[in-house]
Amino acid sequence: MTSDVVLSPSRPFRGLRWFVFTELLVQGHETLAMATSMVVQGVLLVFVWILNPGLLPVAFVGAIVFSMFTMGNRVLNEAAYLRIDHRSNDLYFASPLQPEAYFLGMALGILLVYIWPVVAIAAVSLWVVAYTPSLALLLFAVSAGVWLFSASVGYIFSTFFRENRAIWAYSSLFFNLFGVLFPVFYPLTLFPPALQPIALVLPPSAAAALVQSALGTIALSTNGVWLASGSLAVEVMACFVGAALWARRTAREP
Amino acid sequence: MAQPVRSANLPTEGRSLPAFLIIGWRWIGRNPAVAIAPILLPFIFLYFLSLISPAELLPLEIVGAMLFTLQNIGSWVLGDSASWRIEASLQDLFVASPMGRLRYLFGIAFSNLIAMIPALVILGTLLGYVEWDRGTPVPFYAWLILLGVLFALWVLFSSIGIAISSRVKTQREIWPVGNLTFAVLGMLSPLYYPISYLPPAWQLVAHGIPTTYAALLVQGVLGITPAATDTLLLYAGLLGLSTAIGVTIALRLYRWRPG
Repeated sequence: MTSDVVLSPSRPFRGLRWFVFTELLVQGHETLAMATSMVVQGVLLVFVWILNPGLLPVAFVGAIVFSMFTMGNRVLNEAAYLRIDHRSNDLYFASPLQPEAYFLGMALGILLVYIWPVVAIAAVSLWVVAYTPSLALLLFAVSAGVWLFSASVGYIFSTFFRENRAIWAYSSLFFNLFGVLFPVFYPLTLFPPALQPIALVLPPSAAAALVQSALGTIALSTNGVWLASGSLAVEVMACFVGAALWARRTAREP
Repeated sequence: MAQPVRSANLPTEGRSLPAFLIIGWRWIGRNPAVAIAPILLPFIFLYFLSLISPAELLPLEIVGAMLFTLQNIGSWVLGDSASWRIEASLQDLFVASPMGRLRYLFGIAFSNLIAMIPALVILGTLLGYVEWDRGTPVPFYAWLILLGVLFALWVLFSSIGIAISSRVKTQREIWPVGNLTFAVLGMLSPLYYPISYLPPAWQLVAHGIPTTYAALLVQGVLGITPAATDTLLLYAGLLGLSTAIGVTIALRLYRWRPG
């Protein structure tokens, strides 16, 4: 007996468009999560407003970078939730949808929904940040890089969890450590000088440092600019390729 | 022929807290980050605040971190209780057992306190050292009052957490609801800065939140923001009253039933 189903050869990222749409519909119902996606950023901005209002421009661009960074947390939660609770990833992987399209589609769907609170923060920041076209372009570019890095890392992390309850502790440590402890919401120059090179190789603080430099808040040396931009570019590409390959590998697990 | 279980001989009380202690301990043992996260998170925020604020506010910020840690237990209680009910359907078992809802509440609150104790001990030691280093060592009675305040917040926010958990319908709601509730409550109260730093309208709102009286009482007792004895007694009374009202409302909202 033969099947009438015609299986066309699989190509990378097959089904991406449809899975972006699926995730968009799923996330579009998460109004509560969308509304609360800015809580930490809001709290930190309030702290800066009350304790040191002079740092508000830096804090606002930091809040935008941090918001893009925490989208990786959404990807982590969503991927783990679909796999552990719903087991719907088995269903998706049994379809012609390619695993890397599943990962990227989820990340893009989440981005399209959660970008609106970030746009709102950017709109409010117009009151305190003197944007120029080049500064806005730079902020857009580094934020996109941070998002892709974070979404890739979030997806890879999600495959290691066996229960949803454990995710919170690990993810809050990861995202607060690299997004709050390192100089994202405050100038790089307030960070200990010996540790500043480490901050420049970590994507969120590297992105923030580049924007702070363009903003004129800090004077980043040429070497510093190369270190930050080079690290960001390399880590983003490495993590994205790694996540796509990891998605393929983990999809084959029983 | 099967023999009926002689339930009259089985102990029906006195085992809840030790059982939940083991649950809390096992949870930390299996997930080290669960113990590390409550220790590191207040320090991450403390470090951030120490960079952007005047150095003289450090003791106030350490106390704020202690109060915030206890307040965050509410989020953990919410997460545990909702997960056990929705994901594991364990609440059916607890409701069917001789354990009442108050024991269940204190049990979950106690198991989560286990994970928070290392953070509180480290923050307490840091507070003692910073105050001693500044020539104003923390008096013994201030430690007792601090413990009392922490106990009140533990009971209050655990009750709020468990009350909300009984209304949550899906796993997806747990994190955003907990994040919104407890982060906003923490932000509105003057935990990390003197209340005088806030705009007048905000100060008015803050006076409706129990954590504000906890912060004002501890800051006053430690001499960080000096206050007269009468004022401190008033803060203590208002903290007790608001805690009692909060716990009563939370227990009324709390659904103790299967499913």
